[in-house]
Amino acid sequence: MTLLDVHDLHVAFDGSGHQAVTAVDGVSFGVGRGELVALVGESGCGKSLTGLAILGLLPETARTLDQSKVVFDGTDLTTLAPAAMRRYRGARIAMIFQDPVASLNPVMRVGAQISEAIRAHGRATRQEARARAIALLAEVGIADPASRVDAYPHQLSGGMRQRVMIAIALAAEPELLIADEPTTALDVTVQAQILELLDTLRASRGMAVLLVTHDLAIVASRADRVLVMYAGRIVESAATRDLFHAPRHPYTRGLFGSLPTLADGSARLAPIPGIVPPPDRWPSGCRFHPRCPVGVDRCRRDVPPLVDIGPRHTAACWVTGAEANR
Amino acid sequence: MSIRHRLGVVLAFTVMLLAILGPLLTGDPTAQPDPVGGRLLAPSTAHWLGTDAFSRDVLSRLAHGARLSLLIAAIAMTTAGSIGVLFGVVAGGVRGLFGWTTSRAIDIALALPRIVVLLVVVAALGQITPVELGLVLGLTGWPSIARLVRGEALRLREETHVTAAVALGAPPARVIAREILPGTLPPALVAATLGVADVVLLEAGLGFLGIGVSPQLPTWGSMILQAQRHLAEAPWLLLAPGVALVVATAAATLLGDALRSRLAPGSR
Amino acid sequence: MSHWAVRRTAEAVALTILGAVLLVALVHLLPGDPLNAIIGERALDPATKALLREQWGVDHPLPVVLGDFMVGITRGDLGISYGEQRPVATLLAERLGPTLLLGSLTLLITFTVGMALGLWSALRPRSRRAQLLGTLTLITYTLPSFVIGLVLVWVFAVSWQWLPSAGLDDPLLPIDATGGAVLLDRIRHLILPLATMVLATIAVPIRQQRSAALATVAAPWVMAARARGVSPWRIAWQHVWRPAVTPVITLLGLWLPLLVSGAVFVEYVFAWPGVGALIAEATGTRDIPVVIGAGVLLVAAVQLGSLIADLLYRVATPGTVES
Ligand SMILES: Nc1ncnc2c1ncn2[C@@H]1O[C@H](COP(=O)(O)OP(=O)(O)O)[C@@H](O)[C@H]1O
Ligand code: SF4
Ligand SMILES: [Mg+2]
Repeated sequence: MTLLDVHDLHVAFDGSGHQAVTAVDGVSFGVGRGELVALVGESGCGKSLTGLAILGLLPETARTLDQSKVVFDGTDLTTLAPAAMRRYRGARIAMIFQDPVASLNPVMRVGAQISEAIRAHGRATRQEARARAIALLAEVGIADPASRVDAYPHQLSGGMRQRVMIAIALAAEPELLIADEPTTALDVTVQAQILELLDTLRASRGMAVLLVTHDLAIVASRADRVLVMYAGRIVESAATRDLFHAPRHPYTRGLFGSLPTLADGSARLAPIPGIVPPPDRWPSGCRFHPRCPVGVDRCRRDVPPLVDIGPRHTAACWVTGAEANR
Repeated sequence: MSIRHRLGVVLAFTVMLLAILGPLLTGDPTAQPDPVGGRLLAPSTAHWLGTDAFSRDVLSRLAHGARLSLLIAAIAMTTAGSIGVLFGVVAGGVRGLFGWTTSRAIDIALALPRIVVLLVVVAALGQITPVELGLVLGLTGWPSIARLVRGEALRLREETHVTAAVALGAPPARVIAREILPGTLPPALVAATLGVADVVLLEAGLGFLGIGVSPQLPTWGSMILQAQRHLAEAPWLLLAPGVALVVATAAATLLGDALRSRLAPGSR
Repeated sequence: MSHWAVRRTAEAVALTILGAVLLVALVHLLPGDPLNAIIGERALDPATKALLREQWGVDHPLPVVLGDFMVGITRGDLGISYGEQRPVATLLAERLGPTLLLGSLTLLITFTVGMALGLWSALRPRSRRAQLLGTLTLITYTLPSFVIGLVLVWVFAVSWQWLPSAGLDDPLLPIDATGGAVLLDRIRHLILPLATMVLATIAVPIRQQRSAALATVAAPWVMAARARGVSPWRIAWQHVWRPAVTPVITLLGLWLPLLVSGAVFVEYVFAWPGVGALIAEATGTRDIPVVIGAGVLLVAAVQLGSLIADLLYRVATPGTVES
């Protein structure tokens, strides 16, 4: 049985006055124990909302629609009362965010913020929590943890702060970590270190990771599977190796097209023209059609279904998907 | 324009109407038609807001009070605005000892609570006319405007068009007059408008303490002082000037907010 | 004490002294003959007037007046009241207790309740009740303190006759009344002035705390704390309020003048025998030594308050400000 099973997830915003705007539109996927799944797509595709919806942390103006199910270890989290939901947050599913600078409370020592996560989910005296905090700081690779535990966030570098965020996430030994753009705000060299750390922790703790990112390059060597999201929907999913060798959806290919190809990263191939439209201006049919280089008439009218096109490989495209092959 | 800002305009209009037309339409605020039988009358068609302890018409006094309040506020804010802008621009725009000294003068003036200075001045002067009171309120109200203008001038001094003018060799006085002064006027206008609320409240406060202008004058403050003596028999005497004060101060506050979002968006 | 604290204290003392000098100089330079205040309605012959002028030093040049005042202050001598013919320092000493009682309770309640309400309304900014609170604070903000006071007097003292409307205690209280009865009487006299002071000054901390907390409520670290399962209470306290407290402490210094003008008008309305009522009454009788003495005391109080606020600010922002 998979650890997390997201089924037909819909997230809608209460539009001001008029009808609701659906920003996540029928997303389904699973994450197995110890698996590292990447959720990839340009900014504004609904990746963060998907992650937040899993933990029930959507902004006040947003809600999940009724048909959505988020089944974690056999329990549908969307049906839980707030207090029950809170026992999952941090304890069994942890989440870290893009901005490690702003994700730490500036007036609390980092040790206190780690202890807070420990004590939110179990009995621990102050001393025990502090000792655990120091151990966690060591585990995430912070030098001199016994003194850093008393530091204020502004005394640490960006990379160290993200390590602290990871330590907080690990505090209650979660089975799943949702990492939303964990390296986007960091320097390139630090990015690699943080990803390495996540990968190591997954192996050492058997913790599943849902890695949300707009950057295909960073998932290549680490993810087991990749989900590609565009305008609120999953448009392709495959094992990482398959996806990198044979991307099928024009959007996925576009994402590869915008990867730096020269060794020094200086030259970029043509990125996808245009931008992701906001949810209230999504086009009909295939939402990618205004930007798609190979689209046909039908793409404008009909929504392409997400269908199997190979072993554990799905795509939603009229031209390059299963229909075209038939 | 938001609803709040529109409300501010409407309220300001109401007060001005009361101040300008009210005295023309209502009778003599000092007339005492029937000091025995006509005192402390409840509101009626003859006296819309009733009469006070001397049988004087409350509406008429309210209208004349509005006129006095606006006159005093206008004088006070012009005075405070001009002095505040002058001190602020010099403190923020002029480098060297002169600017520094001006800046310290502002800080010292800010260290004195306005009400204390006001009471000391009124104690020294004794009874004064409304125009003089306007000047006194202006002379005690400039430091906060000066502080704001100083901040604005310090900010402007670092902007490219100013540094460019300096680099091109423009004389300092010209830089201040042409490049810095105009930029400080919008926030100063906002502050002056907001300051009207304080002036109206202070003027009423002095009237309530029975000091400053003659207690015989129909000011809102003196009406409240009267009302206090007759709270049991004639509570409406408190209601009329009380509501007028709220309307006037709310008008100034909301209008100031509206001006701010027009003229100096982003500043708070 | 750190270097900074010493400097800041010296600054507060210097500003108080300069303030005193300004007040004395202001009275001296402004037109208006204080002799009228001294002799009142009495008709005196020129010789007696001249004697009085000399005796009260009304014609001394400014440097002499200032010098006398400063020398006097170091000896605790603030001159003699024109009206009461008693030392100003004695009058102030008598009036200080009631003002401190009313002022400190106001400060305490206004800040704790104001911060709590501001935080509460920031946590539910769109709720009906929070919007109602916003409207109510706007009204109390625009209402002058003495009107608030009179409305409370009308309702609670005149109409319902629940509470006394004036004074510090009941003059008819038996001499042999028990301590409990005296205390109860004092509390009953305190309620209306205190409520007025709080209502007149609470809008500012509510608004300030609300806007500071509205910023922290939306901060990423709040989301991060929710994501680790921290309880709503702890989030409100640790992650929303604590980072939002410093702007409100800074405000304490700016807010003190409001407390001073509140004290003047509210004490006057309720005949509360404090420094505020004293300076108001003395202004009415043009008892200039009293006005200046009380004024200097209030200036000193404001300076002391903003000094404490600055020191608190340093304590409340551990390590985050270094300048
Ligand atoms: N609080 C919000 N209110 C209104 N719209 C929002 C809000 N948050 C996100 N959205 C909209 O939802 C879409 C998806 O957002 P998000 O999940 O943050 O995208 P991603 O993480 O993929 O960059 C965006 O286009 C954005 O316009
Ligand atoms: S369905 Fe059509 S528009 Fe959409 S990606 Fe495929 S080809 Fe392009
Ligand atoms: Mg995102």
